[in-house]
Amino acid sequence: MTVLVAVLVVGAGSLVFRLLPLLGAQRLPERVTTVAGWTGLCLLAALTVRTVVSHHDTSLPAVPALPPVLAAVSVGAGLLLAFRGRSTLVAVAAGGATYVLLSALLSTLA
Amino acid sequence: MTDSAAQVPATAWAERRAERRAERRAERRAERRAERRAERISRARGGRRAARWAGVRAMAPVTVAYAPFALVVGAAVASSGDPLAAWLSTWTIYGGAAQLAVLDVLGHGSGWVAAAAVGLVVNTRLIAYATSMAPDWRTASVTRRVVAAVALTDASWALARGRHRGDRDFYLGAALTLFVGWPAMVTLGVLVGGWASAAPVTGLLPALALGAIVVPQLRHRPVAIAVGAASLSAVGTAGLPPGTALLVAGGLGAAVGIAMTGGADAAVQRATRGPER
Repeated sequence: MTVLVAVLVVGAGSLVFRLLPLLGAQRLPERVTTVAGWTGLCLLAALTVRTVVSHHDTSLPAVPALPPVLAAVSVGAGLLLAFRGRSTLVAVAAGGATYVLLSALLSTLA
Repeated sequence: MTDSAAQVPATAWAERRAERRAERRAERRAERRAERRAERISRARGGRRAARWAGVRAMAPVTVAYAPFALVVGAAVASSGDPLAAWLSTWTIYGGAAQLAVLDVLGHGSGWVAAAAVGLVVNTRLIAYATSMAPDWRTASVTRRVVAAVALTDASWALARGRHRGDRDFYLGAALTLFVGWPAMVTLGVLVGGWASAAPVTGLLPALALGAIVVPQLRHRPVAIAVGAASLSAVGTAGLPPGTALLVAGGLGAAVGIAMTGGADAAVQRATRGPER
């Protein structure tokens, strides 16, 4: 029952977050929507960086900074390809493959 | 004498108000004309169906990139105290990070209030996405706006952001693809997702997909600097809860972006949006 109540409350709240700005679209000043655009873009970037910084991997040698560094190198490789115009799928595949290869290499060396 | 003196400012105020109303009406008419023009051009270039299919094609690789993460979410749903309710949250919450956060808090024995608070804070970013979409959806019907809102999430917003203004059909095609694909993959994860949780790389792939959508926009200098500020903030606030840290990063990045463009709306639009059609 606790799970159901939590899920319904978060679901209803999330729907309000999504719906209200669009239903009241006529009343929102252009300035507010512009700031929201910047915020959204920066949120996505922060989301990516935060995922990298807080990355954990127990299969790697026990060096605290190693998983985030490895994640940063792999994600950086993928994003570089995306910046150069490669598709999202190629960027994700390259980044993921880089991580898998490097982590396997480090585990073997340790 | 007193009455006539009071009437003069009142009349002037009423006139100003009427003028402002007329200006707003004229602005709305101009917007509707621009929207209709954009739609006519869109139809001439292959129609709304083509735009929707373009959205589906753009979202397809992102959906594939989300698959391992969806399996992880599915595994969390399966191990929840109430799997059916947790599975329903795939549609109601419609956001993997918030869903995982809610299930994690509940799994540690906290009550629904704590879980709901965490989930809502994580999903607060949706307000920014929906608000920034408002100019493109002002003239859309209420039904289309509701559909657009229900299917709104990070990836669909980011993909539509890089497109021409007013390309609503592209957004709907992309958003609905993920809206169908994500619950299907989570359901698969409920059945077979246990193994995916063990692979650490799965946590990186959604972030990589989102980053890959955003990164081409870094060619604009103000965007690159604003995103850099937000990224530094994300590193600095890594110890804070995710919802709070993201809001700080988003706010800081937005402030830097606005400062970089001198607050000029047109410059900001050019920097962050595709050109008007």
